[in-house]
Amino acid sequence: MPITIAVDAMGGDNAPGEIVAGAIEAADELGVRVLLVGLEPAIGPLLPAGASGVELVLATEVVAMHDPPASVRTKKDSSIVIAAELVRDGKADAMASAGNTGAAMAAALLRMGRIKGAARPAIAVPIPVPGRAPQILVDGGATVDCTAEWVRQFAVMGREYARIHQGLDEPRVGLLSNGEEAGKGDDLRKAVYPLLESLPGFIGNVEGRDFMHDTVDVIVTDGFTGNIALKTVEGAIRGTATLVFDTLMSTPELRAASEAVMPALFEAADTLNPDSEGGCVLLGVDGICVIAHGSSNARAMKNSVRRAKECVEAGVVERMKGAVADAG
Amino acid sequence: MPAETHVERSPIGPDDVFRMIRERLAEILEIEEDRITLDSDFATDLDADSLALIELVEALEEELGERTVGFSIDDEDLGDLHTVRDAVDYVMHRLSTGT
Repeated sequence: MPITIAVDAMGGDNAPGEIVAGAIEAADELGVRVLLVGLEPAIGPLLPAGASGVELVLATEVVAMHDPPASVRTKKDSSIVIAAELVRDGKADAMASAGNTGAAMAAALLRMGRIKGAARPAIAVPIPVPGRAPQILVDGGATVDCTAEWVRQFAVMGREYARIHQGLDEPRVGLLSNGEEAGKGDDLRKAVYPLLESLPGFIGNVEGRDFMHDTVDVIVTDGFTGNIALKTVEGAIRGTATLVFDTLMSTPELRAASEAVMPALFEAADTLNPDSEGGCVLLGVDGICVIAHGSSNARAMKNSVRRAKECVEAGVVERMKGAVADAG
Repeated sequence: MPAETHVERSPIGPDDVFRMIRERLAEILEIEEDRITLDSDFATDLDADSLALIELVEALEEELGERTVGFSIDDEDLGDLHTVRDAVDYVMHRLSTGT
């Protein structure tokens, strides 16, 4: 029986067209079975006759991108809720959604439940690092208001996820703060720091400049600052890329020279493209939920399904349970 | 007077609802049931935030929905529930009015 991934076909700015296209590609290339969850009138016409490995699961509602997370309680027949229920009921091994992040988190939490010892879920975001495996930022925005204990739990889960994702025995774990010294930070960071000192691989505080550099493997923080940091990195990458390409196009001489370097630059830039990584994994819930960015295209969704498949194969949920239990 | 409930099961009283809330809340917050009393304040005594309360509501709806068809809790009402006693009274009221 192939691994089965439930895909929220109605979630995302480019849903359902790009999502369905990516799901069909995933079924074709990755050997997974995809359950496309969505509204029949919207999805049915997009499924080519005889598409193998893809099945339609009907929903009657859609959680919009602007809906509050709690809308999963009132929209019980929405595609995002049904996708989570398919995992809960053992009909799918994992779910993937490019829809409303808060709703995906709430649907996964309420339908799949939490793993014991993980009070709140956290999003593990791969941050590209030139020339090596991505860093893991945790939490990328699932839990905005955190206690120190919750951030400690994020560190434990993020460390374990990096061991899986990066293949490292002992990833370096850093606490995001405004200075490297132990005493630096706001009240939350000062409270978290001593809780992390016994965590294997903890290297102390790290700063924003450590993003995308080979100085730390796991960057731990609360969901509020984590999401701000993530968006800052994304904006800086886009701004830098614009600067480079605009410069190369600014004079006839540079334009001519760019013909030689542009192919290599495009290839390098693609390693920074979130579409190539696929989605982010929600840690702390008792099932696998991959959250893709809202503007996901077919390629991003295919890679999100790939990420979900890899998590199933690696036994991510069981690994998280074991890590949280061992860390106390 | 216990609330009228769905067929074939014994009626649910306030003690049953309290027991149910205490068990579910203890699971959600990962604390000992003994810490939860009728007078416990969700926020100040139990550190239960809005997400924890939504988890509690989902669990209660699932459990009580099996006994009382259509039982539900309005999210808008959650802001008025400060203590466990508030929650017990609220659930009993919903059960008695069949909503």
